[in-house]
Amino acid sequence: MTEKPDHLPEYLARLADEEAARFITDGLLSGKDSVPSIALNQATEPLPESPRRRLRAIRDLIDDAMYIHRDERPTQADAWLAPRLHAILRLTRAEAADSALWNYLALGVAPDFVVWRHLSETAKVVNAQYFKGPHYKQAFARLWWSAELFRNGPDYEPVVIACGNQDMLNTGLRLDVVDHRPTAQAMVRLLQRGVIRTGRDANALAKVVNTAAVTVMYDVIAQDVPRDGDAVRMWIDEGEGGLTVHHRPLPTGPAEEPAPESSVELLANNFAELFADAPVRGRRADEEEGG
Amino acid sequence: MKVFPYPRLRGTVSLRVDSARVKAPAQPREQLDSRARSVIERAVALGAAETEDWETAVLTVSATIPSKATDPTGPWSEVVVVAVLTDRTTNTRVTSTLARETEDGRDWCGELQVLRSDIHDRAVLTVQVIATVDGVPGRIVGEAAEDWIVDVRSDVPTREQSFDIKEVGFTKGPRWLQGFSEAPWIVNASGTVPTVHINTDFEGMADVLGAEGRGPEGLVNAMLVSQMAAEVWTAVFHSAIGDLEIEDDGTPLFPHGWQGEVLREMLPDVVPERTLEDALREVHRRRVGATGWTELQPRIQYAAMRRAEVPRVLSETVRGLDKLNREDEA
Repeated sequence: MTEKPDHLPEYLARLADEEAARFITDGLLSGKDSVPSIALNQATEPLPESPRRRLRAIRDLIDDAMYIHRDERPTQADAWLAPRLHAILRLTRAEAADSALWNYLALGVAPDFVVWRHLSETAKVVNAQYFKGPHYKQAFARLWWSAELFRNGPDYEPVVIACGNQDMLNTGLRLDVVDHRPTAQAMVRLLQRGVIRTGRDANALAKVVNTAAVTVMYDVIAQDVPRDGDAVRMWIDEGEGGLTVHHRPLPTGPAEEPAPESSVELLANNFAELFADAPVRGRRADEEEGG
Repeated sequence: MKVFPYPRLRGTVSLRVDSARVKAPAQPREQLDSRARSVIERAVALGAAETEDWETAVLTVSATIPSKATDPTGPWSEVVVVAVLTDRTTNTRVTSTLARETEDGRDWCGELQVLRSDIHDRAVLTVQVIATVDGVPGRIVGEAAEDWIVDVRSDVPTREQSFDIKEVGFTKGPRWLQGFSEAPWIVNASGTVPTVHINTDFEGMADVLGAEGRGPEGLVNAMLVSQMAAEVWTAVFHSAIGDLEIEDDGTPLFPHGWQGEVLREMLPDVVPERTLEDALREVHRRRVGATGWTELQPRIQYAAMRRAEVPRVLSETVRGLDKLNREDEA
């Protein structure tokens, strides 16, 4: 069985793609083997040592996620872990664009989590992209980016809602339209209102919103406030200063101004109309089931 | 070609970056030298700033659009021009509405702010023309034909990204290179920019790489560099094709960044006389399908060789050797 690493250094490091590849073995992907942690840590490049990169805190959080959700489906852990991982890591977007960081988390810090969360029940293997892959797929990158793109300023509640629907998380993250905050918030709002309920609903919504964005610029009809670099930097500085993130309460994100309510509301109504006309796979069957 | 259910603007929309300035906390603003911008390359190199640790950059963007956009008798009303900066690696999108500069509605200008921490290395800047059409607000009626590159690391404003060269002793270098201690170089295409790792433990390698001119060392240098370049093109091509994102209906998508650029450059030589999309589908089909991948290899090799200018360099080497021989005889 894939176990947690027997050697955990004090700080987070980088594991370049070309190094990571050789640790992703068939034995690991089938959840049988552990990662040789001494060899792996010899292949890493160090990052500046800082309290926000302390591995113990990150590993404790992941252990907690697996413990709390031990009797549930592992997918349930996403909504709990995404905001907390985001708050513990305190990365800039430029830092988060470095795949070597995510490789290290998946292979050097918590390969057992990746197997626990992503082992396919039917195929009995883990897709290698959960260890090393694009931001919308890799086990930890997908959680961090969903928290970054679905949080509304300091409020992580929309992240919890978005991650509660696997298709919203998986399909939504792949779309460029969610890079516009009011769009991301409007999609979450439809989940909150129960307009979007199933995974198929979420996929259909993502599709129509993305298609409409080819002809309508959401940034103009639903304006956002400018990015607040100072708020993000202060929040990261708190992490550098050694702030502890507690596990039980939902943490607080950077003190950026939330997306303007009028913009979110306008888009939510707009999307609800688009969705009402959209073809949803098996919608009729779903409705009959529900009724 | 896309079909739009409303009238779009015909004619050219263009943009340019007129100036750039950066700012670090508690330091004065620095206006970047005009050498940090290139109108021909359509690129801004913010890495040219002398202010270290700058956190914000402000670009002055101007756009020219066809004057019929603002013609009151035309189909478009409430016309605005918006500058859009995107970086796919950081999922960042920043927009700024430009202001109308001239009465005829052709020239628009404004500023766009970029956070250093939001950009990994390169962002793309474009402009879009937005209008209310048939009562629908926010319609995209036109966009710039050619975008700009905003590079936060580079100090030279160029579009083309050359491969990275790293000199390292393989025997005591990174673990994955130790297995190649007898090789003079190794190409790695897995990062954002392909890298050639030069083995400094290989005797004489540094001298050959540093050589210039038309002497024997210079000729060998030119040959080596073009050989490496050919290997880089081949390696990037294979890694890009092996890692394509596939749509639900099986259509492969062009990757972003370097890999996408390499595919677009090489595909016309690999699968000639087809559209780029068709060529990509064909290559993907051959790789994952039952047959045809092996037969494609000479074409890939040919495309890489052409890009790396192997024929030109080899001819020059042969002529250079002739000349050296004649000088010896004389």
